[in-house]
Amino acid sequence: MPDITQIVRFDDLASKDSPIHNLEGRIKLISTIFIILVCVVSKELFIPIILEIFLLIILKRAKLSYIDSFKRLLMLLPFGGAIIIFQPFIQPGNIIWSYSWLHVTDVGLNWAILLLVRMIVSLTAIIIYSSTTPLQEMASSFRKLKMPRDLAMILSIMVRFLFLFVDELAAIRKSQKSRNFSIHSKNTPYKWRVKQVGYTIGMMFLKAYEQGERVHKSMVSRGFSDASEMFDEKKSPEKSDYAYLVTIIIIVIILEIIIFNYSGQLGYFGQNFAIN
Amino acid sequence: MHIPDGFIPIAQCLVYYVILIVALYFSVKWARSNLDEKRIPLLAVLAAGIFAIMSMNMPIPFGTSGHMVGGALVAIVFLAPEAAVLVFTVVLLIQALIFGDGGITALGANVLNMAIIGGSVGLFTFKGLNGAIGKYPAAGIAAWLATVVAAFACAIEMAIAGTFPMNIGIPSMILYHVFIGIIEAVLTVIVLVALDKFRPDLLAWNKGDA
Repeated sequence: MPDITQIVRFDDLASKDSPIHNLEGRIKLISTIFIILVCVVSKELFIPIILEIFLLIILKRAKLSYIDSFKRLLMLLPFGGAIIIFQPFIQPGNIIWSYSWLHVTDVGLNWAILLLVRMIVSLTAIIIYSSTTPLQEMASSFRKLKMPRDLAMILSIMVRFLFLFVDELAAIRKSQKSRNFSIHSKNTPYKWRVKQVGYTIGMMFLKAYEQGERVHKSMVSRGFSDASEMFDEKKSPEKSDYAYLVTIIIIVIILEIIIFNYSGQLGYFGQNFAIN
Repeated sequence: MHIPDGFIPIAQCLVYYVILIVALYFSVKWARSNLDEKRIPLLAVLAAGIFAIMSMNMPIPFGTSGHMVGGALVAIVFLAPEAAVLVFTVVLLIQALIFGDGGITALGANVLNMAIIGGSVGLFTFKGLNGAIGKYPAAGIAAWLATVVAAFACAIEMAIAGTFPMNIGIPSMILYHVFIGIIEAVLTVIVLVALDKFRPDLLAWNKGDA
């Protein structure tokens, strides 16, 4: 799992100013999910690749660094990447390369490429979304989109306290480091190290639970009850927000029409590589 | 074990989302009757803590590293898998949106594995073994089994999706998580021992439910 302390940096990035940052929260959330959905159902490479180009333009418009975004993308590839790497070797199809018992099939290779492209586009969309939307805005977008009250409240409060625990974790790590503690150090017995991590986790759990109780008390003392609702600033999307979403939808419709009518002319990019 | 976007066809994702929605319905109902109005701040702050706990990587022998998930832990502390469902739905949602760790379309499947299956297997194994071998060994085995069964479920979902055939997916996922599970088990037990020592009132088993 990526380092949670990064969250502070992402939230800093998200508080900057750009045409993409200034879009309304719900519009950003819906367009991100829409792009991911289109990618997930795409069986050809054409649509995801064009969407990736579109997202790279958006990335520039959002004044985000290509290098940093690329680094983030690389960090996210391992689990999916591990499964993708196997594909060319395990899917049945015409063998295009073999070495003793190892075979690479065309079907497997193309499927692996499709999966990788889908994953990269989805992650690019997520990176843009999380780098242009502060956590509070994410939570309030879910509230405005009518997420059930209990869940929406849990989400909103959780998001607030994430930063506290990031600090807490950083403090624990710092104090451990100042005492020369390292999880990876071979100078101390493995059992002892596991125990220390266990205590740290126990401490975090306890702190989280007790903080939760305190928060509840302080909320009650300020008038919180089961009937309380969270306050949401009344802000409706503006024309430019809708324009952004409509642009994405139109691009996707055009791409779908191209695939439907001209997939033969697109060569490799218009072929159906999906195996499920 | 976080399935990314694009690995599961959309129709199957919808099935997992339906399961998620049903599970959430019952979990919210459980929270309303068991934790009353305290449920919201308590579960929210706990979710933030679990988020931090999940980012502590621990080296495991044989060269890899893993981190605790805590599905079984939350289920055992509250003696209810519903608590794990609520906590992990928000944790996995934020992980997917901020880090891209686990997909948005695969959220239903990921909550199913780590919270619904992980939490239930953890809790029911714990309850089943509690009387026979004592609560800590029972909790350890429960957490280990929860991790392995969750990985098994993940492998099966990938096989149904056609992304990873069962004959390779199941052995490799299980083999890996048999080791990861040991860490989960040891850490779960240490946390439970610590909780029992410092705040025994937090553990539902001390309230006579177990």
